[in-house]
Amino acid sequence: MRAVWRAARAAVRRRRLQTVVIALVTLTSTAAMVVALGLVDAASAPFDKAFDRQRGPHVVAAFDPDKASDEQLERTARQPGVEAAAGPFAQATVELPDDAMNFGLGSQITVVGRPGPSGPVDRVDLWAGRWATGPGEVVLNRQSDWTADDLGKKLQVPSGPDLTVVGFAFDLSRTADAWVAPEQAAALHPTVTQMLFRFTKESQAPDASSEDRLRAELATLTEGLPAGALTASRTYLTLKQQVSSSARAFTPYLMAFGVLGIAVAVLIVANVVSGAVISGFRHIGILKALGFTPGQVVAVYLTMISVPAVLGCALGTVVGNLLARPFFEFVFTGPDAGVFHGSVSVAAWVNAVTLLGVPAVCVLAALAPAVRAHRLPAARAISAGSAPRAGRALHLQRRLAGSRLPRSVSLGVGLPFARPGRSALTLAAVVLGVTTVTFATGLATTMTMLGNAGRDAYQVTVYASSFKHGKEVKPQHGDRELESLLRSLPGAREVTARADDDIRMAGSAQDVMLEGRRGDRLTLGNVLTQGRWMHRAGEVVAGSAFLRQNGLRVGDRIRLEKGDRGEDVVVVGEFMESNARLLVTDWPTVTALSPNEKPIAYHVKLRDGADPAAYARAAKAADSGISPTPTGSNSLTQTIVGSATVLTLMLTVVASLGVFNTVVLNTRDRRRDLGMLKSIGMTPRQVTVMTVTSMAVLGALGSLLGVPLGVAGYEVVVPRMAGAVDLALPPYMTDVWRAPALAGVASAGLAIAVLGALVPARRAARLTIAQVLHNE
Amino acid sequence: MRKEYGETTALDGVSLEIRAGDAVAVMGPSGCGKSTLLNMIAGLDRPTGGSVVVHGENVGELSEKGLALYRRRRIGMIFQFFNLIDDLSALDNVALAAQLTGTPARQARRRALELFDELGIADRRNAYPAVLSGGERQRVAVARALMNRPALLLADEPTGALDSRSGEQVMDLLLDLNQIGQTLILVTHDEHLARRCASRLVEIADGRVTGEHTLEPSA
Ligand SMILES: Nc1ncnc2c1ncn2[C@@H]1O[C@H](COP(=O)(O)OP(=O)(O)OP(=O)(O)O)[C@@H](O)[C@H]1O
Ligand SMILES: [Mg+2]
Repeated sequence: MRAVWRAARAAVRRRRLQTVVIALVTLTSTAAMVVALGLVDAASAPFDKAFDRQRGPHVVAAFDPDKASDEQLERTARQPGVEAAAGPFAQATVELPDDAMNFGLGSQITVVGRPGPSGPVDRVDLWAGRWATGPGEVVLNRQSDWTADDLGKKLQVPSGPDLTVVGFAFDLSRTADAWVAPEQAAALHPTVTQMLFRFTKESQAPDASSEDRLRAELATLTEGLPAGALTASRTYLTLKQQVSSSARAFTPYLMAFGVLGIAVAVLIVANVVSGAVISGFRHIGILKALGFTPGQVVAVYLTMISVPAVLGCALGTVVGNLLARPFFEFVFTGPDAGVFHGSVSVAAWVNAVTLLGVPAVCVLAALAPAVRAHRLPAARAISAGSAPRAGRALHLQRRLAGSRLPRSVSLGVGLPFARPGRSALTLAAVVLGVTTVTFATGLATTMTMLGNAGRDAYQVTVYASSFKHGKEVKPQHGDRELESLLRSLPGAREVTARADDDIRMAGSAQDVMLEGRRGDRLTLGNVLTQGRWMHRAGEVVAGSAFLRQNGLRVGDRIRLEKGDRGEDVVVVGEFMESNARLLVTDWPTVTALSPNEKPIAYHVKLRDGADPAAYARAAKAADSGISPTPTGSNSLTQTIVGSATVLTLMLTVVASLGVFNTVVLNTRDRRRDLGMLKSIGMTPRQVTVMTVTSMAVLGALGSLLGVPLGVAGYEVVVPRMAGAVDLALPPYMTDVWRAPALAGVASAGLAIAVLGALVPARRAARLTIAQVLHNE
Repeated sequence: MRKEYGETTALDGVSLEIRAGDAVAVMGPSGCGKSTLLNMIAGLDRPTGGSVVVHGENVGELSEKGLALYRRRRIGMIFQFFNLIDDLSALDNVALAAQLTGTPARQARRRALELFDELGIADRRNAYPAVLSGGERQRVAVARALMNRPALLLADEPTGALDSRSGEQVMDLLLDLNQIGQTLILVTHDEHLARRCASRLVEIADGRVTGEHTLEPSA
């Protein structure tokens, strides 16, 4: 055993570069794998995970304190079927003054008296400050991607004491807008007692009837209470539907990246490790000649590989976890992503899988050639490398030798065929790298178009209200006056007024948001997916999600109602929109339902070159009662494009490392040939050209195979992403494969190959010949 | 000229002058620095002291690229272990030397074939190194060395890996070449061979020249 260890140590020392490469490759691959698996894990059920981590309530129930005492409610928590319960908590509805600074809370908020953020149910994420413990303190429910700037400020409560904001917590289940200490709640005149229930597993089968089941469960719980004690209740299923839709859109895309990442990592590790063993065949022969048994030879090789592999894997897991944290926060904590501060981390199973899996891949990859070495007679092993090769490869070499290409290039082209197995594995890694780049490019193009859709329609939105020192200010001008004022300001080209009217659709319980347009631009050309825009009163255009969720089609007639008025309209077109409540129509259709409807905003399209910020300032100066807002950037697009870029870069680097390793191994194997070539006058430049060409061949082949794969991946994933949020994409958005784009992604293979090959190629070019020939 | 490898002094002040058309045999015990001397002349490595001047060109001062071009134009080298590329045919191994200088494939192969004819291995031109005998391989290597009409032909124990009959053949070949004017520097352990084809004998021990003799051609 000591001989094995010593021989392995000597081998490691003799192959320092190779050992470093093995460690480096396992490190990056493991890191990529941790991120990839973590993504797959996090993307598979983000809401459920977050909900479970917060131990969110399956049902939030409100009781009348006059009818049910706290003791009675506490008893409900001990009923069979209840896994855990929180409460009773006093709950008050607090009116905030319209003119007050109210931290984006709206004019009416729900405040709950709770002793702390944790407990058996609904462990809210206190991400800034501390919990409210004394009088005059309040914690606001806010997502952690907001700022905590408002800490220490005062919330004015007309009906009670002013409250100081001492903390921010995020509650996925939205059980309250703000929390105070239980003693403080009494001063806010609570009208309701809140109970939060989690039910045992049996009672939450995720089938269609689980909403009914949860309600039935609640009914059983409250049977013993006086009639009318239960005043309201809400199940978590509604919430799940709302929260997870944008995360649902991410899922197929993240899955695709995750799978690609894992495949690239496994391939490259296998390539590096088996390559190391194969290139050691000569050494194996010598060991055998020294009297090592075949078993010992295998042991030497496994040891030689395992040391750097295990080291790389351990470090890679650490690096992967470190990388994953900021990356996941970035991907998952957008508005409505449904994930909260500190909860995005790599699942334990991911670390377990990579920590065990990567070394296992290494051992398996090392074992095959090591076993071959085991059987190899010593003499054959020593002379390995000078055995005659397969006929087809030789034929190719002859053709190349006779070609018109510069000899350094044609030698390079022939190189990969000398080691077909290694070349195939390298090629596979390049193919996957190119696939990733292609896929990501297509995705980013679509996402950018999606983000920009309709944006060129206007650059500034002027809201017809404003806040000054926390007080709402009304515009000084009337509706029509304001419209012509905005039109007259320098830079304005088109002004379109917009009203959002809450109405109902006959036969449907859901609210509908009727968006009425008036003015220069009634249509948004580039988001139309079917039919046409409205031409006359009585025509509406519906969002794709609206049609899908209501089972309607273009051409259908629907009846819109508001109060005692009703209007029959025809759906004449469909546009890209994931908000399932949205209908767009012209102004007369809105006023037919709501005669006094006023625009809430004016969209202003500027002349080319006009500065939106300058226009906004001018508008504000003309009427301080309006809020002109230049169109901001699109966060979902940024998230997807950003994460796609990071993942692509990572996989490109890993694929390049694979190429790097192959060149290192090839150079090592062919040192003698290289020395000879240089001795007959090959210049360093020619050596570099030859070596880089050898990989560029694989790069070009990789592009040839990877681009179609990436395009196919795009065709599979993008429609599913859109479909997950009921979004229909106009054809131009998915028509991303134009010649320049294809040429761009096709060069990715070359880039990966050249990037990986350049450094070792230059190293090979600098090889001192005397040294090489002396050593061989 | 001096050459040190770290602690080891491979050449400890060697001074030699070789004229065009000379055939010099270098002899000495193993490890005395014969190969090192040859490598310095071939521009495969740079001396740590002194200089190698070939045709007025100071080899040690050339750039990496300059060295490559120098080796290409002036030097033909033959090694004990042939150093042929396994997956190129004999002919392509030889043609390679010319192709590196940009000679078109067809022309390079034609020139290689001429050499094969001269060296009597024309029938082996399409064979691969693995199936050639040692003597044949060395003759292919000689052909490759001659491809660019080098000023200097350097041979480092060219017969060291061959049986005596093949060794004779290779030696005859070198002798013939010298007789048509090829300058030759030959490292060998075999005094008989040295006497047969060299006109000068240089003896080296411990990195120094310990003796120089002019030889009468024995044949
Ligand atoms: N690249 C090198 N690195 C380190 N030491 C070297 C190198 N090349 C030669 N040496 C050392 O320089 C000395 C001279 O070596 P060289 O190969 O020139 O001897 P040689 O006369 O050719 O021997 P042989 O007859 O065995 O071929 C030896 O001690 C050798 O170990
Ligand atoms: Mg020697």
